[in-house]
Amino acid sequence: MSSPDPRIDWEAVEQSPEFKELIAKRKSFVLPATIFFLSWYIGFILLAGYAPDFMARSVYEGLTVGYCIALTQFVMVAVLGLMYLRRSDRVFDPLAQKVKQHARGTTAPESPSAGSPADGGPSREEVPR
Amino acid sequence: MNVIAAVNVEALVIFTIVLSATLVITYWASKRMTGADAFWAAGRSITGFQNGLAISGDYLSAASFLGIAGLIFIFGFDGFLYSVGFLVAFLTVMFLLAERMRNAGKYTIADVLSFRLRERPARVAAAMGTLTVAAFYLIAQMVGAGVLIQALVGIDFSIAVVITGACMLCYVIFGGMLATTWVQIIKAVLLMTGILVMSIFVLERVGFNPIELFNRAEANTTDESTFSLGPGTFLSSPIDTVSLGIALVLGTAGLPHILMRFFTVPDSRAARSSVVWAIFIIGGFYVLTTFIGFGARALLGEGGVAAAGTGGNLAAPNLAQFLGGGEGTFGGDLFLAVIAAVAFATILAVVAGLVLSASGAVAHDLWSNVIRKGRESEHEEVLVARIAAAAIGAIAIVIAIIGGSGLNVSFMVGLAFAVAASANFPALLLALTWRRFNTAGAVTGVLFGVVSSIALVIISPKVWPGPDAEGGALSFYDLANPGIVSIPMGFIGCWLGTMLSKEHGNERQFAELHVRSETGLGAEKGGALEREREPELVAR
Repeated sequence: MSSPDPRIDWEAVEQSPEFKELIAKRKSFVLPATIFFLSWYIGFILLAGYAPDFMARSVYEGLTVGYCIALTQFVMVAVLGLMYLRRSDRVFDPLAQKVKQHARGTTAPESPSAGSPADGGPSREEVPR
Repeated sequence: MNVIAAVNVEALVIFTIVLSATLVITYWASKRMTGADAFWAAGRSITGFQNGLAISGDYLSAASFLGIAGLIFIFGFDGFLYSVGFLVAFLTVMFLLAERMRNAGKYTIADVLSFRLRERPARVAAAMGTLTVAAFYLIAQMVGAGVLIQALVGIDFSIAVVITGACMLCYVIFGGMLATTWVQIIKAVLLMTGILVMSIFVLERVGFNPIELFNRAEANTTDESTFSLGPGTFLSSPIDTVSLGIALVLGTAGLPHILMRFFTVPDSRAARSSVVWAIFIIGGFYVLTTFIGFGARALLGEGGVAAAGTGGNLAAPNLAQFLGGGEGTFGGDLFLAVIAAVAFATILAVVAGLVLSASGAVAHDLWSNVIRKGRESEHEEVLVARIAAAAIGAIAIVIAIIGGSGLNVSFMVGLAFAVAASANFPALLLALTWRRFNTAGAVTGVLFGVVSSIALVIISPKVWPGPDAEGGALSFYDLANPGIVSIPMGFIGCWLGTMLSKEHGNERQFAELHVRSETGLGAEKGGALEREREPELVAR
């Protein structure tokens, strides 16, 4: 496993503009999203630890501030999950596909038996839905 | 009260039905057992939705179901804090690891590390992290199973542990990942149905108004109650609350049996969608748990606390009995039996996943790649995996019986999460993202993480109480949850090891790992079962 696939020049792929674009695009979503969800969550935990009276305050009858903020965590998880799914289908996956096609295009002639689905071979990258 | 001395017939019948169903699946799966891909990764033929259910089944342990409902019943809001942490953790898994694991790995966490690091030390380190987490988690679940079955069905603790262990081993040894996956899927469906029906029964009592539920719960307390709608009753030290919260949100991303599930899907897209399915199933589950917990408080009241046992674990089954018509009625006994069977299925699904991941660490990492250095056949690897699973299962059964019901379940689960967050998570994340990272870094990181989390738990007041009841033996250290110290220790270990060693030259492998983990180029192929010679046996 740890021996690199000789038919693909991984360093060249890593330096290719397509791959760099993919990494940049994904980072521009994942990094802010991670910072946001960790801050929102740790903020909630800090409030629960250090401001129990505030969290126990009633919003409406028995419904407390704490319970409401906890529910916002559930909403946040669902929304970020769906956003990431959508972004991946529309942006990241097509870009990754481009990187793979490009990498295969440059290495196909070196392939010993073209068309055989050995590791890295042409037929293996089709994404089953 | 509900702790029945004699064997509960309804419970026994329903338990038998659940067990038979899972054993039929195991038989079906054993017919499709064709090699290592089938044994550890179910031939990578599980769909995103199926895997989402299976992740939920793998993740929602008895500690989630009975434990959190019980904590909410006794302490109120603090129990809900656990739920939030357990759920938000899936964002960490999705954003940082799920797809990368699928793209870069084969069967175990060690596959990802050894991709770019020196194989043998990296595998030994990863196997150590995996086995430590699996051991604590497994023993906790086995003890929980024994206590529950003893209380709910009336079978003796030791026998209950042996039955649980035997079923778990049966699934894993004969049915591998395919059987385990379907046991987890069935369990998830049973658990969600059970908790949904119970929640409807509870809400029906308060005119489907959850706020009325909170009010009645609050009203149903006495001066001795620890229950509160606000935080601070169970987790009384703020810094401990924060420490626990961080361990929960990062620990899930280091749980070997959860990460292993991402190898069972055909591609990274399915890995991603399975996390989102899991988020919705698990999120829905935790919202419903609050209805069970607050419902138990509103309907059973302070009088139910003694009957709910240690940590309130029996609050949910007792509530089911109450909702069905009360003790001694057919409806009450039947509902109790159903919920008990759901709890049993819950434990079975989790322990099967744990044993499977531990067998991967022993057979695939330690045996095949460290001891035999990859010279052995796939057939031998699966054989060793089965032997390893049997040995791990036997050890867990023996420790659970020796430790007995006195072992604190939630404490051991907490420890498992701490080790996962401090040892497995830093090494995995850095291997996938930090170009400079090297073997020495991974080894020291895992060592720092494992040693610091275990050592900090040993010196914590819970384990090593001081001469006075207040605080621990070491006056300067009183954290019950080590995460806030041990997680940074894991990362510092990774960094120190990397910086202090002169090892270089894995740049090329990092380039390959980087491209592969981000794009899936060269990833393990999916749908392996479909490539088998007998097309009629295609797993659907």
